[in-house]
Amino acid sequence: MPNFATAPTPTENFAGPVLTVRGLSKSFGNLQALRNVDLEIEPGEIFALLGVNGAGKTTMIECICGLQAHFEGQISVAGFDARKDYAKARQITGLVPQELNFDGFFQSLETVSSQGGYFGVRHPDQKARALMKRLSLEGKEKDNTRNLSGGMKRRLMIAKALMHDPALLFLDEPTAGVDVELRDDLWQYVRELRESGTTIVLTTHYLEEAEKLADRIGVINRGRLLLVERRDHLMDKFGRKKVTLRTAQPLPEELSGKLRTYQWEEGEKNEYHFHFRLDEKEPTLPRLFELLGQHGVSIMDVETRQSRLEDIFRELLQTDDEATS
Amino acid sequence: MKPPLEASSPASEPTTASARRKIAGARKNALRNHGWRGTYALLVREIQRFMKIAGQSIVSPVLTTLLYFVVFGFSLGSRLQEIEGIPYIDFLVPGLMMLNLINNAFLNSSFSLFIAKIHGAIVDVLVTPLTPLQIIMAYVGASVVRAVVTGLIIWLVASLMGAGTVAYPLFTIVFMLLTAIGFALFGIIVAIYSETFDQINLLPSFFLMPLTFLGGVFYSISMLPPFWQAVSLANPILYMINGLRYGMTGVSDVSPWIGLGILTALVLLCGLHAWHLLHTGKKLRE
Ligand SMILES: Nc1ncnc2c1ncn2[C@@H]1O[C@H](COP(=O)(O)OP(=O)(O)OP(=O)(O)O)[C@@H](O)[C@H]1O
Ligand SMILES: [Mg+2]
Repeated sequence: MPNFATAPTPTENFAGPVLTVRGLSKSFGNLQALRNVDLEIEPGEIFALLGVNGAGKTTMIECICGLQAHFEGQISVAGFDARKDYAKARQITGLVPQELNFDGFFQSLETVSSQGGYFGVRHPDQKARALMKRLSLEGKEKDNTRNLSGGMKRRLMIAKALMHDPALLFLDEPTAGVDVELRDDLWQYVRELRESGTTIVLTTHYLEEAEKLADRIGVINRGRLLLVERRDHLMDKFGRKKVTLRTAQPLPEELSGKLRTYQWEEGEKNEYHFHFRLDEKEPTLPRLFELLGQHGVSIMDVETRQSRLEDIFRELLQTDDEATS
Repeated sequence: MKPPLEASSPASEPTTASARRKIAGARKNALRNHGWRGTYALLVREIQRFMKIAGQSIVSPVLTTLLYFVVFGFSLGSRLQEIEGIPYIDFLVPGLMMLNLINNAFLNSSFSLFIAKIHGAIVDVLVTPLTPLQIIMAYVGASVVRAVVTGLIIWLVASLMGAGTVAYPLFTIVFMLLTAIGFALFGIIVAIYSETFDQINLLPSFFLMPLTFLGGVFYSISMLPPFWQAVSLANPILYMINGLRYGMTGVSDVSPWIGLGILTALVLLCGLHAWHLLHTGKKLRE
């Protein structure tokens, strides 16, 4: 358990979620980019926000980090209101924006250092060097930021966002444009950051990334936060197992009544697809085999495929789109 | 109600503990930091920015102004000899300095902010704890440094070439500072509203430059026909040029206090408007 008895002043103590979003709505003219979003981020977690292009991920992050001034609802970062107490809220937050930016007047190291400076970090040079090194940007310190490659710019932006030791870090598509090797390294780094106490909210289009990194996953579609689930629960709750059986002969007629409780369809000749939920308590699959055996069906081949986050995600969006259209 | 932390948070116990510690540390920083160190950092960076292009930001305006000085000072000076009872060279220097102050202060803040906006680097500043006032102070501060440094170089060189000394030093300094601050603030406003390079170039080329040239940099309006004298009096920059001329030489076509009043009004109005834009996030946080 964390022990706050030694904390010097009571005002530093804060026991609530590191981020609380209540009833967040945001529109651009007629376009409703966010609709009544509620979200809490707990200390120390990695939260992945998923959604198709234009779903509202970046807009939500921008509202939290002060890049969107006008929205409805309440946002509080470690107890500081993102609008009324914006300076304090921003001291706690770090942002790696989705959009690559550069300042053509300065060398890489200079931009990282001065970013720390803006947040009141003393003697930021040494820290800037260390961060650049950790992000595999050693040797690029003197390069003009304009001349860095896309992936390098991205990593430079991560270094900048970390200069003031934010407790809550937003990574808006952190691995977009980063090569495979560096991406693995970046994932490792994200885990290290979390180990050292940084809470992380990331968005990504690589569902593999969310699957590997995230503790919890939120799915946003057309501005609405459809669900927030622990990753493992999400897989259990929405995951499906597809079992494809190839039999020696077609299933006998009398079976179809008994198979009513199963979700299945016929595939190609003598091929049958059965769908199972991952969180099913009943031993449905063994029972199926038993049943088939009783009716003298001999099974030639069995193929199983478990749905991945990607399938779950696709299905969720499809259901939502059907429901709202 | 949400379930207790342990149930909903998948992060393991030790991670949660270190995250709590980190949040406490960040909150401590947040409560301590009032943004002045950050303001200083931004000011320093903005100064470094124009120093990186010193050829363009310092040397070029100084050379241009000195060129005017040589061409007009010596060609007209030899014919005019005296104007309003002082040597033409002395008359010319304050006008050229005002031209330079207005240009440099305006260009520095407007271009720096505009380019940051276009290249997206402004985000780096917008996510910091800096308040609108602090951001303004840093941008204006750097512009004032650039305008005053170039102004002083011009004055120094002009003095070496025989221009007279300053009649009212305090008035001159206050006047120069107010000019630089006012036009730097104006530059911030223009940068925030502008969406294209054309728009941002519009004001200096079609408004500031002509008004400055017609505001009596090179001549006294008493040399103009009555009609053009009356027209000139509607030009606010005329009062600024004459104000600085009063401070440096003691002569002026119009009351220097009007110039001081106009500048004070410019600083207040532009200051309030720039603050309002940054405070509401207009064009920058939307
Ligand atoms: N500044 C803006 N002005 C007008 N509309 C905007 C603005 N920013 C975002 N939008 C709109 O709001 C919606 C949400 O955009 P947002 O950038 O949040 O999506 P996203 O989920 O981050 O998408 P992506 O995966 O492409 O990054 C989109 O329809 C977008 O066109
Ligand atoms: Mg986005």
